[in-house]
Amino acid sequence: MSDELKLINAAKAGSADAFADLVRAYRERLLRFLLTRSASYADAEDVLQDTLIAAFRYLHSYDPRWRFSTWLYRIAIRNAARLRGPELVDVGDMGDLRDEENDPLQQCIADSESDNLWVSARQLLNDEVYAAMWLRYAEDMSVNDISKTLDRSASWTKVNLMRGRRALESHMNGAARQSEAYG
Amino acid sequence: MDKLARQLHDDAQRIEVAVSDELDRRIEASLRAVTPEPEKSRPAPVARPPLFWWASTITGVAAAVAVIAIANWRAPDRSEPPPVNVVAAIPSIDLKAETAMLTGPLQEELDRLQSDLKKAEEKVKRDIGL
Repeated sequence: MSDELKLINAAKAGSADAFADLVRAYRERLLRFLLTRSASYADAEDVLQDTLIAAFRYLHSYDPRWRFSTWLYRIAIRNAARLRGPELVDVGDMGDLRDEENDPLQQCIADSESDNLWVSARQLLNDEVYAAMWLRYAEDMSVNDISKTLDRSASWTKVNLMRGRRALESHMNGAARQSEAYG
Repeated sequence: MDKLARQLHDDAQRIEVAVSDELDRRIEASLRAVTPEPEKSRPAPVARPPLFWWASTITGVAAAVAVIAIANWRAPDRSEPPPVNVVAAIPSIDLKAETAMLTGPLQEELDRLQSDLKKAEEKVKRDIGL
């Protein structure tokens, strides 16, 4: 039995310490993802806290055939959508509403000469496609796991990953042409 | 990993986040306040005795036999039409009378033609003085 499964069983039996150990490795990864989808750093922290509480409370419904991270992300995505409400489902709209100074994602990006692609992705892609891209390229999840996390078919996931890539490649090529034009 | 995938992966790592001590304490306190919901006990599958299988099999076979028996028992009740006497049904035809009836006019016509031919022959003999 793996260490993770032992911790899961202990947590199912009611051990909060075991659950805290179990999710320690996932907290920063989840927070990073939630930060790209929240209006503020505090909101991202709140969603992370709610996600972990919900995961502990409903741990009995976790199916060990899934990867634990897949299950956690599924809860996190639902919680993030609930916090933002139906009027702000489109991340692109949300990005337009923010200014760069108050954008928690911009604040957390290390200084670099090149733009962070995830900022562009948030403006170019819709909510679900953005999440699929993140799970694929930031979390290295398989298409199958992404489908389970987003509750979508594998074909939907493949098609939308391709669309997301095309949109970003087109954006990158446009930016490159523009920089060449300006010399 | 291609260039775009590499850049997306690297850019995700460039988003610097850290779970603060304050958040850590909040999360731990919340977890201690929560009691995991017990696993809902699923209804245990009903263990059927081996006799159940035999009883259901015998019932099924008996039902099949009953259906076949009823079908065969009712079969003779069906009123079949009496056999038709084909020979009697077809009206007999007097073949000789029929033949005579059909060839009579032709024979008369033939006789008339032969008579006309004979008259014409005699007339020709008279005209040439024979």
